Amino acid sequence: MKLKSITQILGYEELVENRECEKFSKGYTSDLLSDVIGNCEADSVLITIQAHKNTIAVATLSDIRGIILCNGRKAPVDMIQAAEDESIAIYQTDDNQFEASWKIRQLMDS
Amino acid sequence: MELKCDIHIHSCLSPCGSLNMSPSSIVRIAQEQKLDVIAIADHNSALNAPALEAACKNTPLIPLFAIEATTSEEFHSLCLFRDSRIAVKFGNDLYSNLQSRPNIPEKFGDQVYVDENDNILGELDKYLTGGALTYSSDELLLMVHKAGGLFIPAHIDRAAFSMSSQLGFIPPDPYDALEITTYPMNLNRGSIPLISNSDAHFPEEIGKRFFILETESRGSDDIFKAIKNGMSYPSIKPR
Repeated sequence: MKLKSITQILGYEELVENRECEKFSKGYTSDLLSDVIGNCEADSVLITIQAHKNTIAVATLSDIRGIILCNGRKAPVDMIQAAEDESIAIYQTDDNQFEASWKIRQLMDS
Repeated sequence: MELKCDIHIHSCLSPCGSLNMSPSSIVRIAQEQKLDVIAIADHNSALNAPALEAACKNTPLIPLFAIEATTSEEFHSLCLFRDSRIAVKFGNDLYSNLQSRPNIPEKFGDQVYVDENDNILGELDKYLTGGALTYSSDELLLMVHKAGGLFIPAHIDRAAFSMSSQLGFIPPDPYDALEITTYPMNLNRGSIPLISNSDAHFPEEIGKRFFILETESRGSDDIFKAIKNGMSYPSIKPR
């Protein structure tokens, strides 16, 4: 599935573009970063409300392609900078984690 | 007597800590900052505790030995010990339990432990700030107390890895004190003592926040007793 679809089809705002990889194949929803680091598979998009720089470190270690920040959570400047450096996409939406997960699943099945 | 204390200082063992934060450098700067009591508190390990103890010899500084542990709820808590050997063993047990992935030093920083002359003795493989322990905060509190230490939830008012960010309230557990970074704060703490520390990751930050402790003597037993009895005055709180 193309990362671009998250913006083009779901209408989520892209804050950072993943310039190295344009696709993802899995999704993972969690707000506990230790759970993400332990269980999220490579090549995923992460659906979360954890809008801070540490999420980028965890995404880097877990080969996550993009992060969807739910509930309108704002990405701080240092998070955006870290995501640019690591080329991990960030999207923002007012949807909650359940709604975003459902939409991503539909996108992957379409 | 009154002692100036900063017991939350990161060393070069923390990936987020500067490589210039060797125990010997920390001891030198702590003296310039007129601190009396210091502790290194690295994430989920205490392997720089012996170097801190050695570096404090022949100085007026009183060393204590801490670990900034990541509980399973993902809030940080200081585990504070009087004896460096107990701290090292406790830290090694926590490190074994830590659920994390291998560190990438060029991205996240080195995790080295050293001797008192800054010679590198080794480095840790697991990324110390990335994961969490399987122990919940109440389990860890019991373990720390059993080992003779104090359990002090760290920077409880921060937006990440804090009691307020992870729980939103202060559970009714017997914490020995709570570390704050701003005052006043919104959480209701009841009668639990408050302290404030620098949480320094770089040399220039050491002693920027601290607390004054009113204690009977410079002995670590009296220091522990004074912390538990709330004889602490955070530098950020009007006295």
